[in-house]
Amino acid sequence: MGKSRVANNIRKLRFHHHEMTQQELAEKVGVTRQTIIAIENAKYSPSLELAFRIALAFGSPLEEVFSYDSQNDPI
Amino acid sequence: MSYQEKNIAVSLVCYTLVLGYFLTRLSQLHQNGDLNSADLFGLWAVVIVLSIIITIVGAVLMHAGSAIIEVIRTGEEDPKIDDSQDERDKLIDLRGTKVAHLLFSVGVFLAMLTYVFGQPPLVMFALLILSGLAAQALSDIFRLALYRRGF
Repeated sequence: MGKSRVANNIRKLRFHHHEMTQQELAEKVGVTRQTIIAIENAKYSPSLELAFRIALAFGSPLEEVFSYDSQNDPI
Repeated sequence: MSYQEKNIAVSLVCYTLVLGYFLTRLSQLHQNGDLNSADLFGLWAVVIVLSIIITIVGAVLMHAGSAIIEVIRTGEEDPKIDDSQDERDKLIDLRGTKVAHLLFSVGVFLAMLTYVFGQPPLVMFALLILSGLAAQALSDIFRLALYRRGF
């Protein structure tokens, strides 16, 4: 539980896309608004498929929407 | 609170009520000193039927209540209630089920232990149904916690 190591720019991207609401984004990608809120607050890491759908909704590459904090990684 | 959270909250209330009823009836039977297998199995049947009925009625009332609230809020005659499950809902559901199975397994093991250590079979059967109800209620609490705190 707690914060995920997958960070995102969804809030910023929504703002730059005509101030898209969380509900509008949720409808575009086919999830509930609660899931978008959880992803935005880094409380839930979406599946790869949903991550791609969110990136597609913004017309941005995946790495522009999500980033991974690799500090303290064993690799 | 999302539709799924409300659903879990209703389920939690239902199972807590059934659990309360079961414990009350069991303590009454125990205090009267006439706890026998017929009474206990009768109570088993009542608890199982009661949990099915109360869960269905609770779900129907919750759906109707949500519809009425939506009508008042939006002013539409036929409002759309979003009761769909997305990937996060399914994952939370799965984790809740896992917790319920784990708790029920522990309950079954403890119930068997009481029999091994010389308690009458009635204690074992009482503990079996108790662990089933408690596992369901605790898994509902776990699911609500996952919705609130994230994972």
